[in-house]
Amino acid sequence: MSKPHSVIRQTITTPIVLIVVLLAMAALTYAFGSRAFNRTAIEMFINIMVVVGLYAFVGNSGLLSFGHISFMCLGAYMTAWLAIPPVMKSITLKGLPGWLLHTQLPMWVATPISGVFAALFALIVGRIIMRLSGIAASIATFGLLGVVNNVYSNWDTVTGGQGSIVGIPPTMNVWIGWLGAAVAIVIAYLYSISRSGLALRATRDEAVAASASGVDIVRERLIAFVVSAFIIGLAGALYGHFLSIVNPGSFYLRTTFITLSMLVVGGMYSLSGAVSGVVAMSVLIELFRNLEKGVSLGGVTVGLPNGVQEIAIGIITIIILIYLPTGLTRNREFSWRGWPLQRRLAPSVQTALKEIN
Amino acid sequence: MSSGGLELVAHEVSVQFEGLKALSEVTLAVPRGRITGLIGPNGAGKTTLINVLTGFQSAGTGSVALEGQAVNGIAAHKLRRMGVARTFQSGRLFRDLPVIDNLEVTGVGLGQRRRDAIAEAQRVMAWLGISHLAGMIAGALPYTDERRVAIGRAIMCTPRYLLLDEPAAGMSEHESHDLAVIIRRIAAELGIGVLLIEHNIGLVLELCERIFVLDSGEIIEVGSPTQIRNSDAVRHAYMGTQQDELLPVEEAVAS
Repeated sequence: MSKPHSVIRQTITTPIVLIVVLLAMAALTYAFGSRAFNRTAIEMFINIMVVVGLYAFVGNSGLLSFGHISFMCLGAYMTAWLAIPPVMKSITLKGLPGWLLHTQLPMWVATPISGVFAALFALIVGRIIMRLSGIAASIATFGLLGVVNNVYSNWDTVTGGQGSIVGIPPTMNVWIGWLGAAVAIVIAYLYSISRSGLALRATRDEAVAASASGVDIVRERLIAFVVSAFIIGLAGALYGHFLSIVNPGSFYLRTTFITLSMLVVGGMYSLSGAVSGVVAMSVLIELFRNLEKGVSLGGVTVGLPNGVQEIAIGIITIIILIYLPTGLTRNREFSWRGWPLQRRLAPSVQTALKEIN
Repeated sequence: MSSGGLELVAHEVSVQFEGLKALSEVTLAVPRGRITGLIGPNGAGKTTLINVLTGFQSAGTGSVALEGQAVNGIAAHKLRRMGVARTFQSGRLFRDLPVIDNLEVTGVGLGQRRRDAIAEAQRVMAWLGISHLAGMIAGALPYTDERRVAIGRAIMCTPRYLLLDEPAAGMSEHESHDLAVIIRRIAAELGIGVLLIEHNIGLVLELCERIFVLDSGEIIEVGSPTQIRNSDAVRHAYMGTQQDELLPVEEAVAS
């Protein structure tokens, strides 16, 4: 039984399958979807970017992070600073430095800059936070979320404080959303097959043994932290272009917990899990949103009371996690052979695994 | 005991855990290409000593030298890159990863590209005769295979020293015989200095040229297998047995 030497050749089907399936969704939405449905689809694609970015860190390192939505905040505000017309900025954001005040960049330039900004920030704070392990690291990331939110809520002359900054050109459409998701998937995939990705997954299973194998845990975690911050920074930038307004409230607890539960429901240790978690949860959210609006039955409109959506999604999440504790994909990856099939597994092992589970 | 030769040396190492003396002034040398034994009852400080030698525990006082170079306080992953490898009592495989990836991680940790690390992992698995396990998930392996994979992971890229923490624990006689063959080959064919910690004293007496006996954090005896077998200090202190009783050592040899 000879093994192919190329890791890429063995695993490339996963990102291809994911991107093609999403492309089909984008095409169907574009062809048949209403305006409102298009917006739902764009939101889903942006959430895919966020959750795939989370996966790059959480999935490979095994550390739960509550702080990644702060990178979305950083990306979105950077895009606001770069993309809002100077006339509007000079009224609402007087505190910006002159060169930034007089700049206006198109989306395809502002977005990568926003991603890099978030990544640089992650590089600085990560040098400290990545020294922690387990629950201490999670709590520190939660602190990061709080600090960033506080700064952006109160630095009035630069961020507009609690209120919204308006005027980002609303240039998003479903194709750009798909492109963003595809870019996120490709980056996360390349990271997970990289040397650093493999080393980090080893630290996830057995940190002590990974050190004994020559792995510098802090360094590998930091690399993943920066890569995931870049992806989520991009997502924040596109989110700014999607809503055309930003305010600090959109990048706080609600978004943090919804994206985390999407990741957990899908299966937090696989890229396919990250993507399918978002798709599944988005479908549920959309379904209950419509039920709340009401369904017409023989002239009578029957609707669920408002708030049922959140409760129902909470309950469904719990049910999924009881019966599929490793998520919908059971932490496996999609590929051509079988559906889904775990990589490099002999049939005898699959039987053995079933016995264990 | 010269510190400049091809040896991994602990020199008068003491370690204290909140008042409890885990090691006191322990001096031990592991020469390249030979098998050295370390025995002692539970709680004697054997694992603490391994932790000190591999950078997982800093020595309170005393020094650790790798072929003449002081390596006190150097982080574990850096010591591995300098050629000091170890295994763990509990295996500690990366249980969610396939066996080949378990080995590959070491190659990657030592700076290899994935392609090269995979090639090295395949070479090591062939050398150990575990190539058939390559695709299995490590967490699903039977106990003895787990041990062999752990050794494979440690000897990736041929380290200079290998510290084995109870590799034969829970093995049958037949299995520990196979293990003995592998340990001999590691020292003879690869020129690695092996430190073998074992409760299976028969195995230690069979394999090692020189044996250190540790009790309550102190080295109470050093010598060849014959010397250890006949040592009164070991007889009295090691197992807490009476002089007229048959030592476990002798039982193991007799069987």
